[in-house]
Amino acid sequence: MSDLLFEMKNIEKIFSHVHALDHVNFDIRKGEVHSLLGENGAGKSTLIKILTGVYPKDGGEILLEGNPIEINTREDATKQGIACVFQELSLVPTLSITQNVLLGKEKNTLGVIHYGKEKKEIARLIKRYDFPLEADAIVETLSVAQKQMVEILKALSTDAKLIIMDEPTASLSKKESEMLFQIIGQLKERGVSIVYISHRLEEVFNLADRITILRDGKNAGVVEKKDIIPGEVVRMMIGKRLSEATASRELAMSEEETVLEVKGLTRLGYYEDVNFVVKKGEVLVLTGLVGAGRTEVIRSIFGADPYDKGEILFEGKSMKAGIKGTIRAGFGLIPEDRRTQGFAPLLSVTRNVAVTNYDRLAKSGFVKKASEDKLGEETVKLVDLRPANPKVQVGNLSGGNQQKAVLGKWLTRDLKVILIDEPTVGIDIGAKDEIYEFIEELAKKGVAVLLISSDIAEVLRVAHRIIVMRDGHVVKEFDDGSVTQEDILLASSGFGMTGKEGQNDA
Amino acid sequence: MRQETLRRMISFVLLVILLIVFGTTSSSFFTVNNIMTLLREASVVGMLAVGVTMCIITGGNDLSCGALLGLVSMVVAHLYHYTALPLMAILLIALAVALLGGMLNGICVAVLQIPDFVATLSTKMIFTGLILVFAIRNSAGLITTETINNPSISALGGAFPGGLYYSVAAFFLLAILAQFYLKRTKSGTYLYAMGSNRKSAEYSGISFVKVKMTAFMISAFCAYIGALFLLGRNRAAETATGMGFEFQAISATVIGGCAFAGGRGDMIGTVIGVLFMQVLKNGIMKYNFSTQTQAVVSGVVIVVMLVFDAFYNDYMQKKTTRAAAIAREKKAVAE
Repeated sequence: MSDLLFEMKNIEKIFSHVHALDHVNFDIRKGEVHSLLGENGAGKSTLIKILTGVYPKDGGEILLEGNPIEINTREDATKQGIACVFQELSLVPTLSITQNVLLGKEKNTLGVIHYGKEKKEIARLIKRYDFPLEADAIVETLSVAQKQMVEILKALSTDAKLIIMDEPTASLSKKESEMLFQIIGQLKERGVSIVYISHRLEEVFNLADRITILRDGKNAGVVEKKDIIPGEVVRMMIGKRLSEATASRELAMSEEETVLEVKGLTRLGYYEDVNFVVKKGEVLVLTGLVGAGRTEVIRSIFGADPYDKGEILFEGKSMKAGIKGTIRAGFGLIPEDRRTQGFAPLLSVTRNVAVTNYDRLAKSGFVKKASEDKLGEETVKLVDLRPANPKVQVGNLSGGNQQKAVLGKWLTRDLKVILIDEPTVGIDIGAKDEIYEFIEELAKKGVAVLLISSDIAEVLRVAHRIIVMRDGHVVKEFDDGSVTQEDILLASSGFGMTGKEGQNDA
Repeated sequence: MRQETLRRMISFVLLVILLIVFGTTSSSFFTVNNIMTLLREASVVGMLAVGVTMCIITGGNDLSCGALLGLVSMVVAHLYHYTALPLMAILLIALAVALLGGMLNGICVAVLQIPDFVATLSTKMIFTGLILVFAIRNSAGLITTETINNPSISALGGAFPGGLYYSVAAFFLLAILAQFYLKRTKSGTYLYAMGSNRKSAEYSGISFVKVKMTAFMISAFCAYIGALFLLGRNRAAETATGMGFEFQAISATVIGGCAFAGGRGDMIGTVIGVLFMQVLKNGIMKYNFSTQTQAVVSGVVIVVMLVFDAFYNDYMQKKTTRAAAIAREKKAVAE
């Protein structure tokens, strides 16, 4: 066991009574690439945050080469040789590469930096790893891939023994990813260990020397490279926690008329060539990983963002109007982050609902309080709000009831299409079911529902048809027949995909 | 190229255009006398702008610097009038007042976590109030203005044999020192780091409190230097001294490429901005507009520049994400 670098033993973390990590074990050998796999919420990032000193642990211990160590702050982690290449890059955009790599540890005399010496040192480091970088380039002028290399340089300059990479290829092109993999190989040769976190299973299976799988905050298994069987690993990630009812779902193409059609829709830099139809009374789910471009697609459809190419057809006619026009045509949007986009927390339920309906309530420009109140009461009944009081501030409601209030904004309208983005994030299970029932009811009333969800159980619970997006492209459509969780997970993580794969090649 | 470099070049070109327009339409513009006066007028606001630049680079601002300049002037005038202290002692006390003012700003923003705008607007009120407290009063208790008859103070208002005022030289010297500080010292680098990405700066062990404190102390010091040279020129302090200077200084800084969001800008830009503002003011005067019209015209120009700045930054942001995407698409097609 002498080749073990870090060991995390029986790690526990509790967030408001929820066991986010339940006696989790994780160890890293010297010079290995160790992948951490698990669905959203499985505890990966919590575990990493404990290792890097962002969160304190509630139990367990961390060992470095067999000796217990304490990591309470990020500085502690750096001192122990742990560095992080962040998903959201943590560089200072307006400073040069040299300034960034040496930030906080400048070589200086009385505060004056040894400018030339620093530059030479960084140039040497860049050369050693053969990165396509200039030591005095300004970071904001670099590509994402280059910025990542700067982060790696930053890690190397602190003599990191372990570099944690969290979704490093999320915004890289295929070529850039290849380059990163080469760099990872180089780092390994120099004895640096790497924790590699990615949703892209294909990458993980190619790169990792070992994989630790987490599920619901518990260890679900550790697999050595030679023992990796993709299907087996996916099964470990998903587990058997779900009831049979949501393990798979029968899909079917609706015979109803088409309400919304999207043809070749493209917004450069966000999504490309997206095609689909939504029929009357149908729930079409857009799924895929966060950052696949789903939210951007529905924002364009709603008129909140522009698009570059393609067409949006509503009841067969081309639509080009902004938000006001789409709302008038019968569109509704339940946004992704209800706290910042969905409601005004200090206003009452009535007021929140009324705001979306002033086109009806206040035709003359003045609001009749009585009709406003009536609408508020109607809504509360309709969505079964608890407490059943239309005067309560929305900010004071529970997450589930907040979401119901947001739904209520649209329910009293003559809706044709509703766009819903991740409706149940941070909502307890009981309220989730109620929201699913509303969605089903809306569909039954003939509304075309376009729903975004990353929660696979949720997708299978409500979908009539499913579209999987990845890197801004539609990579898979499930129109009919039976679909399982594994099918969706494999399609969104890009494993075993053929055909459309080539589109990524840039 | 840095985002602000192009911005600054545009400001520079506009400055040159202004110079050409005023130079050709007014025979009295390009005279040694006018240029020297113009630079002198610019120098005090310029010194404030040097300090404000530091604050804006950290992502903050300092609305109190004009009032602090007024307070320092008044403290000197007050002590000179009412006490028999030697000038050196008076100047040291005034320096202490300035630095305490800067520290107060720093404490409000860094320790008490009050947003820069609100904090420095409030301290501005305090400084303005203190100016009235220290104002010189006659036997009836009314505020008067007393001339400071001190050769050393008067000397500060003087000029080199060629006609270049000391205050202009001091402004340029201050700007050069500040530029060296920003670009070549640890502490200067940290101002940028904090303004550009606070999280990453803090992860690198840089203290928010220290950085903010430093910026406000420098701004206060600049206000102190500005106050001395203004006293040299006017030989008296009035209750209105320094009023509105902060807005001229902030405008100059933004015209020179500083972004309110932080992390951008330097002294080259600020000097360009200061000169732009003063040339504009001076040139308009040559057209015999009324004072009101002058104020309106320079106000409009500043608004246009600031609006342009906002649009430009927004555009650059979008361009960088989209340019990358379009380049990728083209490459994909080519392959």
